[in-house]
Amino acid sequence: MGEVIVITSGKGGVGKTTTTANLGTGLAQMGKSVVLIDTDIGLRNLDVVMGLENRIVYNLVDVIEGTCRINQALIKDKRNPSLYLLPSAQTKDKSAVSPEQMRKLAEELKEKFDYILMDCPAGIEQGFQNAIAGATRALVVTTPEVSAIRDADRIIGLLDAAEMDRTDLIVNRLRADMVKKEEMMSSNDVVEVLGINLIGVVPDDENIVISTNKGEPLVGSDTLAGKAYMNICRRILGEEVPMLDLYRKDGFMSKLVSKFKKKELK
Amino acid sequence: MKEPVNIKGTKSGIILVLDPDMPLEDLLEAVKTKFTSSRKFFGDASVALTFEGRKLTDDEKFAIAGVVSDNSDLNVVCITEENADKEEFLKKALKDKLADLSSNTGRFYKGTLRNGQVVDFETSIIILGDVNAGAQVVSKGSIIVLGALYGNAFAGAGGSKNVFVAALNMNPTQIRIGDSIARSSDSDSKSQKETGPMIAFFENGNIYVEPISRESLNDIHLD
Repeated sequence: MGEVIVITSGKGGVGKTTTTANLGTGLAQMGKSVVLIDTDIGLRNLDVVMGLENRIVYNLVDVIEGTCRINQALIKDKRNPSLYLLPSAQTKDKSAVSPEQMRKLAEELKEKFDYILMDCPAGIEQGFQNAIAGATRALVVTTPEVSAIRDADRIIGLLDAAEMDRTDLIVNRLRADMVKKEEMMSSNDVVEVLGINLIGVVPDDENIVISTNKGEPLVGSDTLAGKAYMNICRRILGEEVPMLDLYRKDGFMSKLVSKFKKKELK
Repeated sequence: MKEPVNIKGTKSGIILVLDPDMPLEDLLEAVKTKFTSSRKFFGDASVALTFEGRKLTDDEKFAIAGVVSDNSDLNVVCITEENADKEEFLKKALKDKLADLSSNTGRFYKGTLRNGQVVDFETSIIILGDVNAGAQVVSKGSIIVLGALYGNAFAGAGGSKNVFVAALNMNPTQIRIGDSIARSSDSDSKSQKETGPMIAFFENGNIYVEPISRESLNDIHLD
């Protein structure tokens, strides 16, 4: 029996979709069968981030309305044979689906997959209600900014009201250099405000932009963000993994190397 | 007194029951009165027209059809012969004619289609603008984009494969012709390079995309 996890944030643009893509890919790399569901009807993105947009024939709304079978709408990932995407519809809106229908869909997918990850739209309206309907576990994504944290706090309240079994926090786009200078809140500061378990910290990494544009999640790669996402996957599976050291002092050599890397990118 | 003109409607057409003896002039006048008074009732449907009760020459038929379309909003697609199995016959005649129209007539659409927009046409369509990624053009006939095609183009949505998709800059996410689907290659899906004018068509079970040239145009079959 699989587990349904919703990835949510309240605020837009903090990295829900990127997180969903990377966690799904990471769990699949670790041998789990995973299905990603894009619940952002009308503003779909997950297919683009996964690089699967050109394979879409049917979508979530088609499945809900019975136009096609689930298997016809599931798109197999390019690299991981145990990873599937159920894309969202682009031409409908959130009211095309009800929480009850999403719950039924999640129940059905639980039979066949280890993990069902719901990519939640921004906001707290029907799209959010649809995304959390079938979930028993939530990952709240926030950046270390006051506005994002405020929205995350609101979301955690709503998740509590919905009686989620477990809610964990991901602090995304942390910049160690700014934290050191006390210009940005640290992950500990964020946890202090929100008071839920921190399951991972993902550094601000320009490789994310490159990977998102290419449509290839970078989880598992030799980048800081890639390692951070892989660590979160392992923690989801119940492993004890120490937090990545984002504050380590750069030695002379590594500074030199990173300079060269930056030049190549330009 | 028996009316000189009676109208019988079926799902796909209209049958005019005509007085056999009345002079043609008077008959046309009667048809005119009849359709003028019920213009609202018939609306602007596409119909096939059939005659009953009177032997008519082709010229006479056309004259009556002319009066019908002049005095109503109906779109008389074709005139059919009297037939025992009228309903079936009218339906088939209408369908054939509409299918024919879909690939051999076209419409223009001016404007850029953006992510999430869908346009659906019974006929072929010429887009004066771009079709962005996430947008969709559906046509029972062919699709011509006088701009860049980044989104989805579904030609021959009624099942016809003798249709094509052409664009000045061809970078589609997907092209469908009839029930065949071709998708963009994964390697260059993000690079939106200028391709120059290209045409996509169906042949031997595959969708081919080629630069527009004399040779590629020779491969296009429209019926």
